Amino acid sequence: MITISLKEFTSLFKSIRSIIIISIIFGVTLGSAKLINTFQAELAQFDLGSSAYAAGLMLIIIIASPLFVSSLSHNVINEELKSRTIRFIATKISRNRIIAGKFLGILLFWSLCLFVALLLTIPFSKTFPISEFFQSIVFISYFVGLTILLSTLIHKPSLSILTGIALALVFPILGLWSVFSDNFFLKVFSYLTPYLYFSKEQELYSFFVLIFPVIFLVISLMIMRKRDL
Amino acid sequence: MYALETNNLTKKYGNNTVVDHVSLKVEKGTIFGFLGKNGAGKSTFINMVTGLTIPTEGSFTLSPAEKVNIGVLPDYSTFYDDMTVLGHLKFFSRIMGLKLPKEEMIQILKRVELEDAINVKAKKLSFGMKKKLGIAQALLNNPEILFLDEPTSGVDANSVLNIHSLIKNIASQGTTIFLTSHNLDEVEKLCDEISIMDKGCIKKQGTITQLRNEFQNNLTVRFKHGEIPDEKFPTLEKELSAYETEIEWGRNYVKLVVPDEETISVINKHFIDTGIDVFRIEVDEPSLEEIFLSTGA
Repeated sequence: MITISLKEFTSLFKSIRSIIIISIIFGVTLGSAKLINTFQAELAQFDLGSSAYAAGLMLIIIIASPLFVSSLSHNVINEELKSRTIRFIATKISRNRIIAGKFLGILLFWSLCLFVALLLTIPFSKTFPISEFFQSIVFISYFVGLTILLSTLIHKPSLSILTGIALALVFPILGLWSVFSDNFFLKVFSYLTPYLYFSKEQELYSFFVLIFPVIFLVISLMIMRKRDL
Repeated sequence: MYALETNNLTKKYGNNTVVDHVSLKVEKGTIFGFLGKNGAGKSTFINMVTGLTIPTEGSFTLSPAEKVNIGVLPDYSTFYDDMTVLGHLKFFSRIMGLKLPKEEMIQILKRVELEDAINVKAKKLSFGMKKKLGIAQALLNNPEILFLDEPTSGVDANSVLNIHSLIKNIASQGTTIFLTSHNLDEVEKLCDEISIMDKGCIKKQGTITQLRNEFQNNLTVRFKHGEIPDEKFPTLEKELSAYETEIEWGRNYVKLVVPDEETISVINKHFIDTGIDVFRIEVDEPSLEEIFLSTGA
């Protein structure tokens, strides 16, 4: 499982993608922090002004991470099925380990990208937002799990990227809308997205989101166990 | 003791039954050949017993059952384009939790004649070289059971011979080998036991000798003999005609059809008793091709 994780991690990290992502996270965190700082007095009323960099980070993660994750990892399973490389792996280790390994590898990639981007902001923020760092990982884990599920469900990589991007665009809009809406269906939907839990005042709620990637992975495993490779 | 035992193993895709209630036993330490034309169900069968395909019905038992003791060369599989030959072996060995030194992996590559391509990326390998890499990765764990799906298809003639000798060598160390092929000569040359498959069913199974005996009730035998003096010919002709068989007299040979090998021995004795030299006895055995075609496969 560790070998699968490391392979997934290195294949994501060794390309130009990692530099782009780190740059975007760093740039947006810095930019939004400066913007937030200009409205410090107003935002202080909402208890945000004191951690502008953390807020900047959360902003980019909440809005853009679904798109980043789905566009980078939409084919994590179906590409292996299509190319049949999975046949060599599946005859050596269990399918559970393949799925779990892929999940951990992708999550490790995002954790490292976030970590590096946040390290780069330290000269400006003078602090490392540990809590927000872990919250971001939890938030991203939701979409990593969802992306793996989509990649398991959808056979064609060309279709999974379309579906992934569509969901990544719709999810933040619907997710944020559902948090503030009184519509019954949106209210129900809000419980299925991470946005509701991240909008709660108590940080602990955000860690409740971890249950979702577990559910997504279990469903993926159930599908994979019945699939001919 | 069986390395593989299947019980009514079946695979259906909708209404199409690809493998139809196949029950067989593969003895440990043997080379078992699965013969059949394309689409006969050989690969689906091998995919089921190696865990790549989920059976619709039936069951199977592998001994040993742990994946770490099994080597598999699946059909139509590809490698990671940007990974080198040696990189693949490192990756696969780590997946299995093996800590093989580089020298050992190079040794495996030497066995499949890929030692000159250790740093070549998979995307630059020819089909035959990929097949060799497939065999190499199947040997990494020194498996107790080795499944080879069409191990020599697309491989050049010289390498085929090398792969054949490699298979024999592995089998001589006690590894059970289960191979599929549509190459009759290959199966005849390598396998201890053969199963002929057609349309998902096993048409015939047994050792080559058993299949030959089953195929042919009578043996066609040719005695190459020395000069027969005119006075001895009627006696010999009378003796041979007692077998109520077609006799073809040629120049210094006689060809006849006999029911079994004992009769050959008796006829040979007639020649000796009559004082006629027998230089050679040739028995026409049916080829595997004839047996294969007789199944209608």
